[in-house]
Amino acid sequence: MVTKKASPIFASKEDSNFREALKLYDAKQYKKALKLVEGNLKKHSHHAESLALKGCITFHIGAKQDAEPYILKAVEKEPTNYLVNHLAGLYYRSVEDYHKAAKWLKAANDNGSPNKPILRDLSFMQSQIRDYKNLKESRQLYLEHQPGYRANWTGLAVAQHLNKEYHAAVSTLDKIENIIKEHLTDADMYEQSECVLYKHQILSEAGDYERALKALENDKDSIKDMLSYMEYKAKYLLLLGQKKEASLIYRELLKRNPDNISYYPLLETALDTTSKPEELRLKLYEKLGRYYPRSDPPKFIPLTFLSSEGDLFAKKARDYIIPQLLRGVPATFVNVKPLYLNPKKSQVIEEIVLDFYQHDLPKLENPTVAVWTEYFLAQHYLYKNDLDSADKHIDLALEHTPTLVELYIVKARIIKHRGDYVKASEVMDEGRKLDLQDRFINSKTTKYLLRANKVNEAIDCISLFTKLDEDAINGCKDLHTMQVSWVLVESAEAYTRLYHEYQAKLNELRNCEAEENEELTQELLENIETYRGLALKRFTSIVKLYKIFYNDQYDFHSYCMRRGTPRDYIDTLRWEDKIHSTPIYTRALKGLSELYFELYSESLNDNEESSQEVKIKKTNKKQKKAKAQMNKKKTEFIARVESEKEDADPLGAKLLHDLQNSDVIEALFELFKSLIEEGKDLELTWKVLFKVYLIQGKYVLALQAVKNLNKVLNPYGEKKLREIGSRVVELATTSKNDDKANAAIVKVVEKGLHSAFPEFEQLSTDEFLELYNQ
Amino acid sequence: MGRDIVALDDLTVNNVGTFQKINEVVLPSRYDAAWYQEAVTPGQITKLAFYAEIPVGAIKARAFNNTHKISSLESLLRFQLPSKNIPNAIYIESFAVLEKYRGLGIGSKLLNYVIEETKSRFIHEIYIHVHVDNKEAIEWYLKKGFVKKDEVIKDYYKSLEIPNPDAYIMTLAV
Repeated sequence: MVTKKASPIFASKEDSNFREALKLYDAKQYKKALKLVEGNLKKHSHHAESLALKGCITFHIGAKQDAEPYILKAVEKEPTNYLVNHLAGLYYRSVEDYHKAAKWLKAANDNGSPNKPILRDLSFMQSQIRDYKNLKESRQLYLEHQPGYRANWTGLAVAQHLNKEYHAAVSTLDKIENIIKEHLTDADMYEQSECVLYKHQILSEAGDYERALKALENDKDSIKDMLSYMEYKAKYLLLLGQKKEASLIYRELLKRNPDNISYYPLLETALDTTSKPEELRLKLYEKLGRYYPRSDPPKFIPLTFLSSEGDLFAKKARDYIIPQLLRGVPATFVNVKPLYLNPKKSQVIEEIVLDFYQHDLPKLENPTVAVWTEYFLAQHYLYKNDLDSADKHIDLALEHTPTLVELYIVKARIIKHRGDYVKASEVMDEGRKLDLQDRFINSKTTKYLLRANKVNEAIDCISLFTKLDEDAINGCKDLHTMQVSWVLVESAEAYTRLYHEYQAKLNELRNCEAEENEELTQELLENIETYRGLALKRFTSIVKLYKIFYNDQYDFHSYCMRRGTPRDYIDTLRWEDKIHSTPIYTRALKGLSELYFELYSESLNDNEESSQEVKIKKTNKKQKKAKAQMNKKKTEFIARVESEKEDADPLGAKLLHDLQNSDVIEALFELFKSLIEEGKDLELTWKVLFKVYLIQGKYVLALQAVKNLNKVLNPYGEKKLREIGSRVVELATTSKNDDKANAAIVKVVEKGLHSAFPEFEQLSTDEFLELYNQ
Repeated sequence: MGRDIVALDDLTVNNVGTFQKINEVVLPSRYDAAWYQEAVTPGQITKLAFYAEIPVGAIKARAFNNTHKISSLESLLRFQLPSKNIPNAIYIESFAVLEKYRGLGIGSKLLNYVIEETKSRFIHEIYIHVHVDNKEAIEWYLKKGFVKKDEVIKDYYKSLEIPNPDAYIMTLAV
């Protein structure tokens, strides 16, 4: 940090005190620094620089929540003081508020700070918040300050690339390549290769293939990653229509890795065979199969294009499946499963395997073939949802070889499809016990136990594979540390089911018994509280995890430039840009939205709520001894479900309580905000947002949501879905019946509904709903 | 490739469940948890047999002194070696191969393992109880060179409540 000249407020002594304090702060001597700063503030309590520094120090050694007021005060006093700006920037970076950090770091630079590394820090913030426009500027300025490092050039090129200024990016990379060419040492060669390939990535994204191809040939010597080189080259040639040359390279690539299934269709494109008769295509693959007899794709791909009607398919399918059964390949069914999308092919395969089963199998000596065939058939019938036949075959297999773990997995799946989750988990566990070190079946068992709502057993099961801290009962904490998101989301869902179960029991009890059984009611109420809190807590832990995933990219904004891995860096950024639409996260959000909506409807129903709370207190006072016993049980239970060491809120009770006392719907909106862009193709996004907007009275947005939902569910616009129809009507009635709503807005919504769903204007509501009933 | 399709492997804490499964499916006798626990302690004469990498057979034996009479299956489960008596025989406690995998040399391989273990302990006799009605097993043991003793242990398998709960003793000199 660079200190500023004396500010007018202070005489030289205080000023030197402040400078000294800054130095101490940089050296992490927080206590000493704080002493000096407090001395200054005693004399002049409004000294902005000292206030800002005090905020930063307080963040590090004091109570974290006390820090921000100092920062706010400081920037309010002197919003144009670059030292204050810089300190504010550092503070917000520490609390991971990158938007504010970027704002203040930019202000520090704009207000004339001579400290150039601010620009570098600023560029990290801007990358983190995806402010690409300003990112380019700060990378550019920093490069001008420090042109001697390749990383800074790469950084600028990346910024230009992200702004889609492909030519500028390429020319930046070209420039540094020319400068550096003479000075490269052996140690730089990898970075050189990566940067050159990065240039090609940009060129191909820009679509200038001719130039890209030429550049690729020029740079051939500096490229170490020959696989990428060849893939780029083949791609360019193909796109430029030089198919013959492209096909040669694809053949070369196949020689390197004949198991890469993606090369085969590309080779076919290059050879122009995709629209040729299937016999000809088959010949191609037969020839490739002779070259690469151990590879699967040349044998499998023909099955995808051969017509299910012809004998060729049957013959080839037989040649594919039977040797695998004879060899005892466990994955035989999984290998052919993609073909099942075509029911006729699945029929042909069934005939082939049954024929083998009936005629060839009895003659064979090796007993394992019989098991694997039964196993195949069981999976086949399970896929077709013919559970009785599936059961028949899996039972025969289990009788034949009861020691084969795979069989138990399929048996459990069949039972699961029948809806008996408890039995399914027991069968899975039986298989697991055969081989405790089989991690796959351990995970499967854990999942099935969770589906059966046996959360404790499930966690104990997977704890065989977690790190156990001293005196930890189970691996629950480690599952959080290791970010095992599937276990977390499954347990959250299990807790939700448990809580709904207890709620249903409570309602039943209240409905059918005239005299309330206090003890039982009390127990049910407590269980409802506990499991609801836990469900909320587990779902929220997923949201936290993804926040960590997102924040973790921070280090790469500098690291990847220095290591010279811009291609992977770009991939990382693009992946991070859509992590909120990934399956686990959206599952957690779905669970949360249901919980939040429930909380919302309860809050509308306040009276009932308060009566419940009173009851809890009353019974609690009653029996002290029972309470003590229960407390002990509770402590044990808490030890099982703690998510971190000394978890302040192990049961999520505080989380739940805070939520009940806040605007639940607004909180839900905050959760779904990132999905508006990232999850715009998801049904969940618009269903939840529609409901949120409707409750909030934001009818225009609700209109947009229902239109988007229609787009997702009904991409070709030919269907009249009930889910859409009912929402259209709901929106129209709610907005019309809302006295507080702006009349103009209601009109806009009505117009919008009419133009998007013309039948809504033409027909009566009942007729409309009748039409929209798919 | 080139590996024998039949292979033996050690019994461990992790696959003892497989051992138990094989015994339960094949043998009428039931062994308790303590017995299975003991089976995975070091120095035991136990092996699992695999066919094409699938576990299909298992054997467990122990050294004992044959002056000690074993009158029933329960006493087998409970018996402790009298410390004064130096072991002079190897007793096969459980020996099973899944039905569909018989006649493939799996049993022989397991038995050979026990014979080798016996020799390495300088013991010259292997000793086993067989249910009197289990013709298949008796024939197999005879084929392997076992000798059937004349005496019949009455009610050896009484606890299993099967008809004819008597047992033969068969021995093999090595």
